[in-house]
Amino acid sequence: MRNRSTIWLSIGVLALLHGAVLTAHFVAPYDFAAQDRDLPYAPPTRLHFIDARGRSHLRPFVYRSVEQPEGSGHYVEDSSRAYVVQFLVSSRSGGRRLFGVDEPASIFLLGTDAYGRDQFSRLVYGGRISLMAGLLAAALTLSLGLLAGASAGYCGGWLDGIIMRGAELFLALPWLYLLFAIRAFLPLHISPAQAFFLLISVIGLVGWARPARLVRGLVLSAKERTYVLAARSFGASGFYLLRRHILPQTLGVMLTQAAILVPQFILAEVTLSFLGLGVGEPVPSWGNMLATLQQYSVLASYWWMFLPGLALVPVFWIYHKLADSLHEETL
Amino acid sequence: MRYVVTRLIHSAALLVGVSMLTFIFLRLAPGDFFTDLRLNPQVSAQTVADLRAQAGLDQPLPVTYVRWLKSVARGDLGLSLAYNARVAPLLWDRARNTLLLAGTAMLLAWLIAIVAGLSSAARPHGIADRLIGGGTSLLLGVPELVLALGLLALAARTGRFPTGGMVSLGFAKLNLTGKLKDVVLHAALPVAALVLGALPVLVRHVRASVLEVLQAPFIQAARAHGIPRRRVLFGYALPAAANPLASLFGLSVAALLSGSLLVEVVMGWPGMGPLLLEAILARDLYVVIGAVMFSAAFLVGGNLVADALLYTVDPRIRAR
Amino acid sequence: MQDLTVDYEAEGGTGRAVSGVSFELGPGDSLGVLGESGCGKTTTALAILRILPKTARVIGTIRFLGRHLFQLRERDLQKVRGADISMIFQEPAMMLSPVKRAGDQVSEVIRAHTGESWRECRGEALARLSEVGFESASRIYASYPHQLSGGEQQRVVIAQALACRPALVVADEPTSSLDLGTQAEILDLLSDLKERLGIALLVISHDPGVLAKLATRIVVMRHGAIVEQGALGQVFQQPQSAYTQSLLVARATSPLAPRRLVPVLQSASEDAVKARTLPDVKADQMPAPQRAEPELSADKGSPRYQEPLVSVRGLSKRYQHRRGLKTFGIQALDNVDLDIAAGSTIALIGESGAGKSTLALCLARLEQPDAGEILLAGRNLLKVPRPELAPVRRKIQLIFQDSTQALSPRISAAEVVREPLDIGSLGISTERHGRALELMEQVGLSAAWARRSPLEFSGGQRQRLAIARALALQPSLLILDEALTGLDLPIQAEIIDLLVELQGVHRLTYLYISHDLSLVERVADEVVVMHQGRIVERAGTAELFRCPSHPHTQALLGARLALEAALPREA
Repeated sequence: MRNRSTIWLSIGVLALLHGAVLTAHFVAPYDFAAQDRDLPYAPPTRLHFIDARGRSHLRPFVYRSVEQPEGSGHYVEDSSRAYVVQFLVSSRSGGRRLFGVDEPASIFLLGTDAYGRDQFSRLVYGGRISLMAGLLAAALTLSLGLLAGASAGYCGGWLDGIIMRGAELFLALPWLYLLFAIRAFLPLHISPAQAFFLLISVIGLVGWARPARLVRGLVLSAKERTYVLAARSFGASGFYLLRRHILPQTLGVMLTQAAILVPQFILAEVTLSFLGLGVGEPVPSWGNMLATLQQYSVLASYWWMFLPGLALVPVFWIYHKLADSLHEETL
Repeated sequence: MRYVVTRLIHSAALLVGVSMLTFIFLRLAPGDFFTDLRLNPQVSAQTVADLRAQAGLDQPLPVTYVRWLKSVARGDLGLSLAYNARVAPLLWDRARNTLLLAGTAMLLAWLIAIVAGLSSAARPHGIADRLIGGGTSLLLGVPELVLALGLLALAARTGRFPTGGMVSLGFAKLNLTGKLKDVVLHAALPVAALVLGALPVLVRHVRASVLEVLQAPFIQAARAHGIPRRRVLFGYALPAAANPLASLFGLSVAALLSGSLLVEVVMGWPGMGPLLLEAILARDLYVVIGAVMFSAAFLVGGNLVADALLYTVDPRIRAR
Repeated sequence: MQDLTVDYEAEGGTGRAVSGVSFELGPGDSLGVLGESGCGKTTTALAILRILPKTARVIGTIRFLGRHLFQLRERDLQKVRGADISMIFQEPAMMLSPVKRAGDQVSEVIRAHTGESWRECRGEALARLSEVGFESASRIYASYPHQLSGGEQQRVVIAQALACRPALVVADEPTSSLDLGTQAEILDLLSDLKERLGIALLVISHDPGVLAKLATRIVVMRHGAIVEQGALGQVFQQPQSAYTQSLLVARATSPLAPRRLVPVLQSASEDAVKARTLPDVKADQMPAPQRAEPELSADKGSPRYQEPLVSVRGLSKRYQHRRGLKTFGIQALDNVDLDIAAGSTIALIGESGAGKSTLALCLARLEQPDAGEILLAGRNLLKVPRPELAPVRRKIQLIFQDSTQALSPRISAAEVVREPLDIGSLGISTERHGRALELMEQVGLSAAWARRSPLEFSGGQRQRLAIARALALQPSLLILDEALTGLDLPIQAEIIDLLVELQGVHRLTYLYISHDLSLVERVADEVVVMHQGRIVERAGTAELFRCPSHPHTQALLGARLALEAALPREA
């Protein structure tokens, strides 16, 4: 019982998260490419509830940050005027945003990068790429795996032999190495959109072997079940058997595999983008946002640039919990 | 004996298959080392074509493949276009470092995993189990990239650990102990990153395997014969759990290799990872193939070791 | 043991496994506990050594040589286990660690209780192994369990149990998983060792034959409580409680128990010895008299001189499999000829591997024979073209042994029953559903249970479902491949009742495949004996059991008679 609630809770949280990133143009206060040249590497804006005179307010507000002294990279808050955080503001490009503050103040919840771009907004927009890449690639892999595994398991014979040898080959390859190799030998300078689809295809293609083996095992054992034998004695056709008795057995395993694969694939995208082999500027992905940390100065001084990495942690954690619960449930 | 021979043949066939697959993938891609060169207006098309012919890149796929096979037989694995040197010594140098890193991490991770897994399984839902379970749960959520970056940030902040490389500048002048200490200091963080990344999965599997074995009737029978708990755990449960654990060993080699690639690049350890990345970005074909084959061989080797382990610990396998 | 009560706590609530059991056992004595599966006998035994699972709550007292076992600390109890009291469990293969040598496992027990060196323990272990009848103790010592046969494994387990010369040995179903011949050997061994070493023995079994061999006193358990106790001869010959009577009647013709156990309640006529029905026993009632046999029953094996329903001619099948580079072949069926007359009930017996199941699978067209023909009402089933195959193959239906496996757990009971109709697209959906409910009622299951999953049914009820499903296509021949094996005896009796009834109503022909000779004796008109793929004998049931002609049949029946001598003589 507890298991079921864990599953639904996890799915709920994930749905919320995905919903948030898919509606990035609403949730994020700024556009991902919007730069503020006056505020490069600004630390996260502090939200205040108590003003300079000691009065507390219900709604949070911010102060404007200014570089002080000029060009030093050091920022202080200008407490002369408070800018209240407003909700459902209308954005410059039309449409609405969840929250924001009046100009000239800015609400950089997670600070800015070298070009003064809001990290929080980029995080939300970036989530679109990273999270969805994981999901779509996993869908691709599982479909391929299901097809291959079911054919191998049910038909047996030479088809089984070929598919299984192929699976062994793919499993013998260190997947990250192969991933890099394949990706890099494809055109390096392509548009982010193309890169995204390419990424999904490559990641999805590399991982089909493990699900295929699992499905094959399940199909083989289901095929031998006495009730399948009984159905055959009633004259059932292969398709009937697959549809009614065999494939439904794979549902549980497929779901668990999905919960295991998605975080792996998200990580694959993040890694590739981190190394410059994935989605590129200006489109943000959690991977290429982390890439700046390869510079020592950034790593040592600007701690908020680390946060996209931390964003991965709860996502992974939820997927793992989901995988565990699904595994329990389908055992 | 027959078992060993079959496995060896099998592994060899696998490696051949992998090499073909990799070759096909890489050659299918548009462009090669010289593609960027062509964009340079100062270099004529003829020069590029000549260079290409020299490197043998204009030949059809099977020909290139055979040439590569010959280079494997010769032992040099072809020519690196970027370094203009033979691939084999280049790779071997780096591979040694990777093996050092991955090997140490493997050993450490397994040792810790067995101890932790046993303690958890010995008293399920006890204090040790909950602590270890909580720890692994937490670690599971942190991807290796973040771990590596985090440790690097730690190094940068505290200044206690060097942030890259395998040896310091004055390495050659140090005495033996000094050299050892130097390498250990440099390796500490990368190894830590790898171990922490691999631990959660390993601990859970050890725990699960031991728990499952503890459910077996012969364990209850041993208890019924008055055999003390500790002896049951180490003398009966652990040997019986050796079978699934040996299989896990093979899989963990794969995971660790992939992990080491990333960790080396991020933390600046001079292993195969950075070499591969460089070669990829420069489209240095033979280096890439060499590196991929090397890791495939390492993987296959790991699986062979796992099979050998299985053979030694499980008499039922020996009977077959 | 005094007033032992054991409760198990589970998610749904607490279940009482044992309630208020008390008995005494003197040194060198032997006590047998008789009861069906689930009556609490194993729990009682585990309670003595306190090796129950954590979910068990135990109250009561057990005293051993004056010491209160439940008051001992774990450390002290450990010293008792294996050294003063030891246990022999049911399946020897599971009781031994697969990765440790057999002899080492005996040495371990010795080592745990004495401070001796490994070499000394090894020496003692070798001695023990010789004691249990191994000629080459050192060879057995060095073997791994999977290299030993079932009987050998059980001997090793016995050696383990006796290693430290305990005062009491608890044996829980020591022979149930072994085949007939080995069972007798092991029982002889145990009886012998008991005498020689003067051990007190607590034997637990559902088979009175086993207890007859080893125990002097009997305790009968049911639903966790003792129903009756007393000396063996007395309880077996004059059972006080009706439950004991039913156990003995049902098991009267068990593979091990001699026929003389059949109480006088049955009517005398030798022809009617094949009791087709068994009394439906309620707690305190006397068993009801036998039902009159249905008319269609066989005329004690006289052949019918009309066209047989199914004719098998020259059927052969060979199974090949490869191990490495070698190819092994097993001739499962070797030129089999068999006629099955309409309306008859034929039993097919033989040891495992004789080809019985293969024949069944070929008849049901689930396996393709290599040669021969199967004629059903004149047409050769093997040559019927695919489009016409469907209506023809319906006539022969198969009921499998394991009902949990034979019914898909993911669909409802009604869907299980109507599946043959669905596959054949017979009638429209509502009609099929109606028919499914009808069939369920026919086999004695309430239609209200139509939506339940087969998992919620008991073993006997699942077999009824399987029968209902088989009837959906209105077959002529029903093959029951070990379909009644593994069911508790009263349930078996009910199902047999049902089958007999259905046979009359639907004019069915039955082919029973079984290794349970008492069952065969009870239900069949004729018996066919198979051995290594061939039919070696065929005769009417009474005739076959009375004087089997083929040596193999004699061997099969012979093991049954082995225990005749163990029973105390009737007055």
